[in-house]
Amino acid sequence: MTRPLAIRLSVALLTVLLFAPAVSAQPADDGALKLAEPDFTLIALPTALRLPKFGSAFLVTHRFTRPLGSGDFGDLAADFFGMDTGAQIGLEYRFGIIPSGQIGVLRTSDRQIEFFAEYGIFRQRPGRWLEVMALASIEGGDNFKDAKSPALGAIVSRRVGDVAAFYVEPIWVNNSNPLPKEVVDHNDTFMIGLGARIRIRPTVYIVGEFTPRVSGYRPGSTQGGVAIEKRAGGHMFQLNFGDAFGTTMTQIARGGPDGSNWYLGFNISRKFY
Amino acid sequence: MRTPHIAIAALACVTVAGCDQKLSTLAGPTPNLEPTFASVQSQIFESTDVVGRQACVNCHTNVGRTPAGGLNLVHGVAYDQIVNVVSPRKPGAIRVLPGDPENSYLVQKLEGRAGIVGVRMPQSGPPFLTDGQILILKRWIALGAPRN
Repeated sequence: MTRPLAIRLSVALLTVLLFAPAVSAQPADDGALKLAEPDFTLIALPTALRLPKFGSAFLVTHRFTRPLGSGDFGDLAADFFGMDTGAQIGLEYRFGIIPSGQIGVLRTSDRQIEFFAEYGIFRQRPGRWLEVMALASIEGGDNFKDAKSPALGAIVSRRVGDVAAFYVEPIWVNNSNPLPKEVVDHNDTFMIGLGARIRIRPTVYIVGEFTPRVSGYRPGSTQGGVAIEKRAGGHMFQLNFGDAFGTTMTQIARGGPDGSNWYLGFNISRKFY
Repeated sequence: MRTPHIAIAALACVTVAGCDQKLSTLAGPTPNLEPTFASVQSQIFESTDVVGRQACVNCHTNVGRTPAGGLNLVHGVAYDQIVNVVSPRKPGAIRVLPGDPENSYLVQKLEGRAGIVGVRMPQSGPPFLTDGQILILKRWIALGAPRN
């Protein structure tokens, strides 16, 4: 398949997702704050939060690449807990283009660009315990000029009052292996993202996520992390600790460099609605 | 109506899955190299790279000389000279052990690993085979070193 054709198909995919009828849409609710699910991401995994039509949101992800366990505490303090070292940075923007449907783009500092679309299929309500959102994405390295890695998945969530939200996210990533398929045993990854956000104070949350790779290409360590975050109006400030830097689906599928190391990072998000 | 749309979206996404990294990006100076014996024979054994890596058959031939190391890699006999064949220079070493590239002596000689007898191949190198070329050769061995 030629690259231009692949790009056209990608656009077609996103278009189909975007213009699917919003049967379950209740747009009047989507702009309201959901105390148990205040943001569009956990640490790297997406949540099932819907974006109101024509609303948008911005996210900065920042992962310092210095292992927190390298050297003694004095060394760590001297490096200001990793902040003196390099980092993998991501910028994301998402836009609600139809009720319950959103598209977005995430670019990370390793020149990876991910386009994604999410569509709310089922809404949690009395009598229906779960919220389900479909996820599709495609990303490519070298500013989307390199090989393309599409992903399909579902975000299944359960909000518990205004206190907590839990997530199970089965996701399949194609071309997760950076090597050509002709020289590898596995070129896809099937992973299941598991996560939770718990509100411990009116505007303070504890977040955790873990994404075991169930089958396929599984290098490195399984990505996971914990975070503490503070909501301030339309902003969310998150300080996180994880064993990997991934924020796109392919990066998560490729895992972390070494499961014995932890890294400091932060997310800052802002809603525009 | 929603389900068909999602199904179409999924289908489109799967279709896009063909956008894999091209093998030629890995093969470097031999862009047509594939993990098949015919390709290894033509691209590695019989060809000199554009970067100057010498063809194996410059020395490993019985045309006008005795094959270096007792290994003849000319067309038509090379496969039977390497697959499941013991190296006469290193007792116990198998030149190509189907399914086991790491323990195939041919790979060890091309990578210049410790423990080989003599020097890294090609003897006139560098340039040696690139990591990508060796990876493709290893893949052919990992697939069972078929006569394909």
